[in-house]
Amino acid sequence: MTSLSRTNASTVADRLAEIVGDRHVLSRPSELLVYNSDGLPGYRKQPRLAVFPGAREEAIAVVRVLADEGMPFVPRGAGTGLSGGALADDIVVVGLHRLKEIISLDIENRRATVEPGVVNLRLNKHVAPHGLLYAPDPSSEAACTIGGNVAENAGGPHCLKYGVTLNHVLAMTVVLPSGEVVELGSKFGERDGYDLRGAFIGSEGCFGLALDITVRLTQRPQTVRTLLADFMSIDEAARVTSAIIASGIVPAALEFMDGATIRVVEASIYAAGYPKDAEAVLLIELDGLEAEVAADLEVVRRSCIEGGARNVKVARDDVERLKLWQGRKKAFGAMGRLASHLMVQDAVIPRTRLSEILATIHAISEKYGVLVCNVFHAGDGNLHPNIAYSADDPDESERVHKAMTEIMNACIDVGGSITGEHGVGLDKMGYMESIFSESSLNAMCELRGVFDPHRRSNPGKVVPIHSCKEWNAVASAR
Amino acid sequence: MERGGVSAVSTEAVAAVVRESVASRTPVRIAGRSSWLSAGRPVKANKTLSLRDDSGVVNYVPGDLTLTLRAGTTLGEIERISGEHDQWLPLDPFGSDDGTIGATIATASAGPLGTSFGLPRDLLLGLEFVNGRGEIVRAGGRVVKNVAGFDLSRLLTGSWGTLGVITEVTVRLYARPKVDRTFAVSLGRGQKSTTELLRAIASSPLAPFALEILNGSAASSLGFGDNPTLLVRFGGNAAGVDVQLKVFSQLARTEEIEQSTWVAFRKIDGDAPSVIRISTLPNRFLSVASSILADTEPRIAISINPRRGIMRLVTRDNGDRDSAMPGDTSVSPEFPNDGQTGGASVIFEKLPAEVWPVVSPSVTSDALSRGIKKAYDPHNILNPGILGD
Repeated sequence: MTSLSRTNASTVADRLAEIVGDRHVLSRPSELLVYNSDGLPGYRKQPRLAVFPGAREEAIAVVRVLADEGMPFVPRGAGTGLSGGALADDIVVVGLHRLKEIISLDIENRRATVEPGVVNLRLNKHVAPHGLLYAPDPSSEAACTIGGNVAENAGGPHCLKYGVTLNHVLAMTVVLPSGEVVELGSKFGERDGYDLRGAFIGSEGCFGLALDITVRLTQRPQTVRTLLADFMSIDEAARVTSAIIASGIVPAALEFMDGATIRVVEASIYAAGYPKDAEAVLLIELDGLEAEVAADLEVVRRSCIEGGARNVKVARDDVERLKLWQGRKKAFGAMGRLASHLMVQDAVIPRTRLSEILATIHAISEKYGVLVCNVFHAGDGNLHPNIAYSADDPDESERVHKAMTEIMNACIDVGGSITGEHGVGLDKMGYMESIFSESSLNAMCELRGVFDPHRRSNPGKVVPIHSCKEWNAVASAR
Repeated sequence: MERGGVSAVSTEAVAAVVRESVASRTPVRIAGRSSWLSAGRPVKANKTLSLRDDSGVVNYVPGDLTLTLRAGTTLGEIERISGEHDQWLPLDPFGSDDGTIGATIATASAGPLGTSFGLPRDLLLGLEFVNGRGEIVRAGGRVVKNVAGFDLSRLLTGSWGTLGVITEVTVRLYARPKVDRTFAVSLGRGQKSTTELLRAIASSPLAPFALEILNGSAASSLGFGDNPTLLVRFGGNAAGVDVQLKVFSQLARTEEIEQSTWVAFRKIDGDAPSVIRISTLPNRFLSVASSILADTEPRIAISINPRRGIMRLVTRDNGDRDSAMPGDTSVSPEFPNDGQTGGASVIFEKLPAEVWPVVSPSVTSDALSRGIKKAYDPHNILNPGILGD
């Protein structure tokens, strides 16, 4: 991969500034510091340049200049990602947060077309008065962008019932790394031919960048009921989770927080009233028609009690409901109290193996003397074991890395996946070969090669370069 | 098995057949149980690779609601296997339960339940396929949420076997609803106008499992007389179904019918020479549904799924070849065009062989699709021509 020489970079900066204006091109190292990490600590890469197009045409022109210059780049939304995916190692950051127009809203057909920089929560607030919602709700919803959500195929607590980003995006206009603009999917809903929209979603910025995105909106449920069940044992809460899923009820959300997480949240400004002496709480939400929800609520309540819950508290109103959710949504933030850095993982396991895996994680944390806080989407089996630590302490960092590696391997061993919603990025690339064969990784490389033959868009992410046969052949021929 | 046919029983065997076909440059037609071979453009191949004997469960943990199957497993077998645990795969493509899961995913076929459970792409968790070089590729996994790597599962869904031979599939199951009932509403005289009824349903909190409106021709083939008829399916817990029924009965006069109606409806294609699907914005049906349904053309069976924004037209071949031609017709819906979004996307499922080149020569002629085909099947031996050249 070409690295940028100083002179080259300044020519590129000039050309980009002609498109977006001087103030929207950053090239001084001090200005670029903000862009040297994403939401995951432990990785820092300094970009050479950052450019922020303010309109669709500018974004296209920027990509075309970069193509013309043969310059690698990294598309970036709000930088809230948790996989190191938005880092640019001495190359160009193309920030899309200025493309933030909600282009159209079609209430009757429940669709919205937005620019990539529209913040997830802003879209939700925009459509709420019409009785609609945009279902994927990552915990970073107040900051993350729809473009970033598409790149990562983002999830969130309510994806248990409503599905992830790929189930809610109908169509996109995309500028490929070559500068060519293509339409993927169909805003009507269905079309024939290859599902290029499906291929693009979750491609982590490696296939180009979306200029507009048409999403499906969902009717707000008639009723939402939220309950909190607390347990004196992690194992009981895990078993209750499996029991609820096996019962066939599909809760809107089924979230798990362990004792360590509860106590951190309760000590923070996000205190939600979780019982501080509990070893685990389940936050369960049911939605739908009032009568239907009332019947399911009773079944869920009984499952909790029979499974050993001390208390089951049903939120009486929206104020109580939002308070219960606040603790969950801000749990990662609250962990900032524990140490300067937070290692976040995102493995997924079969839901029947929950109790066993949580015991394994506990044993691993003891072995390495680290504090694991578990806060996760239990209904999906999507774990988020988090470890607060100081990245400046080499000994602690090493123990944390070892513990996380063992945890990931344990999840892989029970038939799980290395990432449920955060993406592979830089952080999980090392695990790709544990779950995919050489030919499977090569098939991914080939797909990338079609969208981006010169691997200029987000290079060095997702699939290890040595897994790409054709790329290796080209490289060794040089 | 037709002449030149081979049946594989394992992924390795499929890979061997593909490699042999590459070596001899023999294009292969890929088939499940050959129940829907008349769909798609004519395939230029003399050899058929059947997956019918590669069937059965690979992995099923009912508590996880995930099921991994060999591609040749029929939808009927899946229903039986999952039914033993009071679960189901809510995927009911047109045709019969003799169709295989591999073919269903490969053709992205869905039916009435797509209204509430989504399309094959939404139910698929992972798959294994053999590409056009005979290499075995796995994508996705067996867990319900997974973003590891680029999404080859979605890419293969609806690729009609042109990028790889699907050999194994993992799907998401659901618990069977406690209550599952179907009702018919005759849209003849004495009912609210179709438009009014559709508007009322659209703005209600009703969440039907399925909702289809049939024209007279389609209705009569299911034994509902000649009147346009609405079919609606409510499922879930008893309280939820009861309340929906109560709401619905205030909108229309309903009659409960057998669930087997859906089985009959899915067979509506019969040996029709043409099947066309039109996808458009759901509200466009509100204004045109009445006039489409009022048409008494007996040779075209029409069903409209107003929630998904889908209309399906099935022509009946009565010996008069003209009737098989798309665009024939008294039934060429004029969708209101707001000038920005265009009218609709039209998907051809079945057409007479000679009509394809005229109407839809290819759906993969764009540079990206061509590039992907070339990467995955460089020798163009997998189902060549089925999506066009």
